Amino acid sequence: MMNLKDILSPFSAWRNLLKEPVTIKDPLTERPGAPRYRGFHKNDIEKCIGCGTCETICENEAIDLVAVANVDTKNGDSGLRPLVDYGRCCWCALCVDVCTTGSLTMSNEYTWVSNDPEDFRYIPGVDKKEWDNNDLGWKKPDYTLIPTERMDMEEMEPSEREGTFLEIVRGYSRAQAEKEADRCTECGLCVATCPAHMDIPGYIRAVREGDMEEGLRLLYETNPLPEICGRVCTHRCEEVCAVGHSGDPLAIRWLKRYIADQVPFEEYKRILGITSIEENGKKVGIIGAGPSGLSAAYYLRIRGFEVTIYEAKSKGGGMTMYGIPKYRLPMNMLESEIGFLEEIGVKFVYETRVGEDISFDEIYKKHDAVFVGIGFEKPYKINIKGEEQKGALQAISFLDDINKGKKVDIGKKVAIVGGGNVAMDAARVARRLGAEVYMLYRRRVEDMPADSEEIHGAYEEGVQIIPQTIPVEIIGEGGKVKSIQYLMAEMVPDEKGGRPKPVPIEGSEQVLEIDTLIGAIGQEADYGFLPQEYLDKIETNRGRMLVDNNNKTTLDKVYAGGDAVNKTADAISAIADGHRAADAIERMLLV
Amino acid sequence: MKEIINNIQEKFKISEVTEQRENQYFISVEKKDTIQLVTYLKDIEKFTNFILLTAVDWIEKGQFQLTYMLNHPSKKLDIGVRTFIERENATMDSAHHLWEHVATFQRELKEMFGIDFPGSPRVDEPFLLEGWDNIPPMRRDFDTKKYSEETYFPRPGRSTNDPAEHMKKKLYPNE
Repeated sequence: MMNLKDILSPFSAWRNLLKEPVTIKDPLTERPGAPRYRGFHKNDIEKCIGCGTCETICENEAIDLVAVANVDTKNGDSGLRPLVDYGRCCWCALCVDVCTTGSLTMSNEYTWVSNDPEDFRYIPGVDKKEWDNNDLGWKKPDYTLIPTERMDMEEMEPSEREGTFLEIVRGYSRAQAEKEADRCTECGLCVATCPAHMDIPGYIRAVREGDMEEGLRLLYETNPLPEICGRVCTHRCEEVCAVGHSGDPLAIRWLKRYIADQVPFEEYKRILGITSIEENGKKVGIIGAGPSGLSAAYYLRIRGFEVTIYEAKSKGGGMTMYGIPKYRLPMNMLESEIGFLEEIGVKFVYETRVGEDISFDEIYKKHDAVFVGIGFEKPYKINIKGEEQKGALQAISFLDDINKGKKVDIGKKVAIVGGGNVAMDAARVARRLGAEVYMLYRRRVEDMPADSEEIHGAYEEGVQIIPQTIPVEIIGEGGKVKSIQYLMAEMVPDEKGGRPKPVPIEGSEQVLEIDTLIGAIGQEADYGFLPQEYLDKIETNRGRMLVDNNNKTTLDKVYAGGDAVNKTADAISAIADGHRAADAIERMLLV
Repeated sequence: MKEIINNIQEKFKISEVTEQRENQYFISVEKKDTIQLVTYLKDIEKFTNFILLTAVDWIEKGQFQLTYMLNHPSKKLDIGVRTFIERENATMDSAHHLWEHVATFQRELKEMFGIDFPGSPRVDEPFLLEGWDNIPPMRRDFDTKKYSEETYFPRPGRSTNDPAEHMKKKLYPNE
């Protein structure tokens, strides 16, 4: 049976006669891919950091990382770039989706033909192709294969912090740590930036796999003070983290802390395999029980050296013990780590200042090698009028007193001069003592040498930062600080290309009423302990001892490390110095 | 769809019902009832269109999961019938008598998973893998990477660099 519709419907096709065709007119020459087609790769060479995550994710092993002319290996960039083998590529675009910087994309070009099969192996972005500027194709999608947000760290509320020195940061739980560790692509770009070259991808893997003992072993391979570094490290590794290019960098420091917090100190000897040490009969003396000295002591001791540390103060840890406030690094952490060193046989001679209680000459002659890790103990003066009055303090001694548990009366209003981490510590400690705190800094906030999280913490806790200020005079009354006079400064670009310089603005005097002034504009080393005959032999430059790449000074069998040697002036650099020196001392004495 | 599910539950022992979408359900049934249920769905409930038959290797449980996907053309409904069979000497009753092309799916499963369907036409003939000499490749204990490394050869002259190692070589070779 036929109905009318069946008869008419063939004619309905005619209504399309005048419409624009959707097909391509000349399909043999013009064959554009769809706008989001996954064709030959493009790579923005400037943006690419050579992390190799594309290579790792490629199921077909189609990608090799190769060195490329004109791209240098530097901090945060391996200098390698991906080479794609199109004999293996299946165009799945996982490499594009996972790319940490978003530099790797795909054009929609797919019709390229060549008679030479070798042509189909090339380095996108380096070997120029005609589709390099083709905007169409596949780009990193909106979703991401690597979570961009860092696991939040629980912290004490800023409002609760006044009057307490309890640790602010609470630490990760197991679930949080594993989730954070899961964001790591194990590219290892961070290893070169870490002064101690810690195996960061390795210990993060250990967190992910829940193997804390392996994690601890990896930490101790390059860093015998992980409890300290897990809390106060300057974490320059996080600045170059590949994942940080399109989200928050990995919380490397918190993951290190997580490992160190999980393993009880009593287990360390067993886990690290230091149950017995074979003595080698050589003696090393170490001056200063700061991070560099402790690090050298650990690596020397486990290799059988007899190690004695001479420390002027009554406890070890150096600046981490006496300088860093306890809300950042609780004292028991330090004491346990030092206790572990004692347990494996490092001898500590406390309250013995070299140059006073024992001569350097004696130490030099008694030992086969000497390591000097004296740090920067002597604060710079601000060098303005009125600094000698009561109520004008130095941050270093202020922090030292607080950490020792002494009561320091700072009154109600405090001004800190400086903008580094020591200044931040002093300011935040003063806030905890209940004072109103002003911070005077010569340059802008963005020029401050302090870590950004310290600046952030100071703001959170109500420290008032007054940038671009130059102190002129401390005005006193009856020999006691009453106010500080300062000039405002303008930033003048440096003609030599350095950072802009603060230049005082005439007539911009301001006066701030204060009870206490705390100077924190830097410290220097005190070489008073060295007799002249040694002083002549140990060369220094701008207050720092000159060392070679084994951390050996210009004096025979004397090595040095820490703040008195390197400019970075952080714990992790000091630890690296100690390790390097230990290696070199071993080579010198045993090989 | 709810009504159909109720009908099925009255007649068969269904262990699990999953509503994937309003018009797509999955039901789980024991191995011995599976073909009977599929026959019922085709002949009585009129799921006359057979879409696919597929398997999942649950190696930890020692089982394969089979899924028969059926479609009701006029009501536009999908139903998936799931069942578990033993992994060891895996065998399942054939359903080729219900739809001729089921035989092709069964032949594929024989080759890829090693599940036998006795009586299914040409079930022992190679489907894709001519001259295959290993365990069925879709079984999870088949190591694809190892097989490809043993069977094929890498392109000569290829080399790659580990970023961390390369940076060590370039930036701090002596440490």
